[in-house]
Amino acid sequence: MIKTTTKNLEEMTQKETIGYLNETVQPEAGSIPAFILADPKIYDIEHKKVFMKTWLFIGHESETPNKNDYMLRDLAGYSIIITRDSENEIRGFYNMCTHRGMKLCRADKGNKSSFVCPYHGFNFKNNGDLIGVPLQKDIYGTDLDKSKLGLHKIRIESYKGLIFGTWNEEAESLSDFLGDFKWYLDILAGRAEMEVLGPPQRFIIHSNWKVGADNFVGDSYHTMVTHGSIAKLGMVPSATYSKKGYQIHTMNGHGLNLGTPNPDFAFPEELKSEYQSNLTNKQYDVLANLKNMIGNIFPNLSFLISHTKVKGQLISNTTVRMWRPIGPDKMEVIAWFLVEKNAADDWKKRSRDSFILTFSPSGIFEQDDTEVFTDITAAASGPMPVMKELVYNYTMGMHREPVSDFTGPGVVYDDKFTEANQRNFYRYWLDLMNE
Amino acid sequence: MSLEKMLATYEFEQWLYKEAELLDHIDFDGWFSLMHPSLIYQMPVRVNKEGTERPDYAEDMFSFNDDIDLLSLRVERLKTDYAWAEIPPSRTRRYVSNVKLADYVPNEKASVNSYLLIYRSRSTDIHHDLISGERRDEFLYEDGVWKLSKRVFIVDQTTLNTRNLAIFV
Repeated sequence: MIKTTTKNLEEMTQKETIGYLNETVQPEAGSIPAFILADPKIYDIEHKKVFMKTWLFIGHESETPNKNDYMLRDLAGYSIIITRDSENEIRGFYNMCTHRGMKLCRADKGNKSSFVCPYHGFNFKNNGDLIGVPLQKDIYGTDLDKSKLGLHKIRIESYKGLIFGTWNEEAESLSDFLGDFKWYLDILAGRAEMEVLGPPQRFIIHSNWKVGADNFVGDSYHTMVTHGSIAKLGMVPSATYSKKGYQIHTMNGHGLNLGTPNPDFAFPEELKSEYQSNLTNKQYDVLANLKNMIGNIFPNLSFLISHTKVKGQLISNTTVRMWRPIGPDKMEVIAWFLVEKNAADDWKKRSRDSFILTFSPSGIFEQDDTEVFTDITAAASGPMPVMKELVYNYTMGMHREPVSDFTGPGVVYDDKFTEANQRNFYRYWLDLMNE
Repeated sequence: MSLEKMLATYEFEQWLYKEAELLDHIDFDGWFSLMHPSLIYQMPVRVNKEGTERPDYAEDMFSFNDDIDLLSLRVERLKTDYAWAEIPPSRTRRYVSNVKLADYVPNEKASVNSYLLIYRSRSTDIHHDLISGERRDEFLYEDGVWKLSKRVFIVDQTTLNTRNLAIFV
């Protein structure tokens, strides 16, 4: 008989699995095992211990601008309805009739003040109250207490128009969860009145969600090669353009890379006073010199401000994208385009078109990333990476000290080519897996 | 249907078959030469509406929204050594059917609607992607040939089940 003494994740209990994670996931030593990117057991534990616990992105307030607008979204694998009720309050509900569990709503968005279940016709107001039961008096008599049958409410909170939700009633406030990272989110989403233009773009990549988060949280190094075609086409100055700037992380796994300086102002000039009134002087200085900003709000909301030359003209675009897990080796990418509401129509259109050209499913940056994400996930799958203890090297920049003279908060390195942010991401991930 | 329209329908069917052949044989320069300088090349994002309201696609967000310059950039990019998404190229097969001539002025302009099914296979992956949709095309007649001046591709998925659109629709 062939002897084997190797680890087998399938036979471990959840407790043993977490013990094994603690042995093998070593962010501070710059070592991350490959199996965490594709193993079904890790995926299941992650769903409970990460996604059911933290705040997750849902959408932007501008997506439901009017009273009685609603939109359908996902929260950790569950369909939810976001409504703006007749009192102008944004609310979230589980998309399930409380009578027999049927899905209430299936359109992406719309405008209505109540939702009627297709099964027995229970009618729910967009504040969650059950307001109608067909033939109620006749079939229930006087005993049915409708006030106890309202839709299941979801805890939602917003920061600068970005709506987040959580299933965890004990979670800290969104503001506390984002912490110091808000300083940078102000530049991303609070620099001016921002709006989402159009529906989000959605597509499937056969990749683990963490590969996307890892890429956006701190990996500017790959741009030299993966996005080498962009420099060749003259859309950015050189292949090493992505090195200059700062890498920054804060607690709870959040991190970003800030490309700076920029000889050109990346945003609409005529909005300078709006930016100045929304940002502190220090934040405005960062904005005025910003070349790009790429980051990830833990766990799976990445964001990007990108400034490139399209048809000989410089233009920036701002996007947020969610890596929505739908399996150990599969995710839905949902990408929203954000733009200054008060920008000129021509600027909005050019900005949108630069997003489509660079970071949509057809985006000439994005499409090369998807190839990498897919192949990394495939290579991490199955029992072999556990048997052979395959690990990735995350030691870049470990010899460097953070700088203390940067204007914003967090742990800051004065060059983007380091993996401190990825180490910070996996540290928080591991902490949550243990809680 | 008049004989003239039958012949024109045949002519555009052949045009679309030729186009499919050029794309499937990764002759992007050959394909690009079929385009008119005034080209608008669009693929709107498809959305789920509550009922039968139409259109059920976005009029302000696209997966492609190119003019001739941007399309040229994409073609040029595929020729650099760094266009990883298509190294090696996907094997694609474009099935064009249900070709209908909507509007036709001989030697001047035409509108043609057709269905498109793209089969896409990458590398050694045993999975394949299918991209299905409807093309709404407009042509202009120039220097003795029909050139594509507008394409709107209405895709049949709200979430695209293909890793990227490094291929053309």
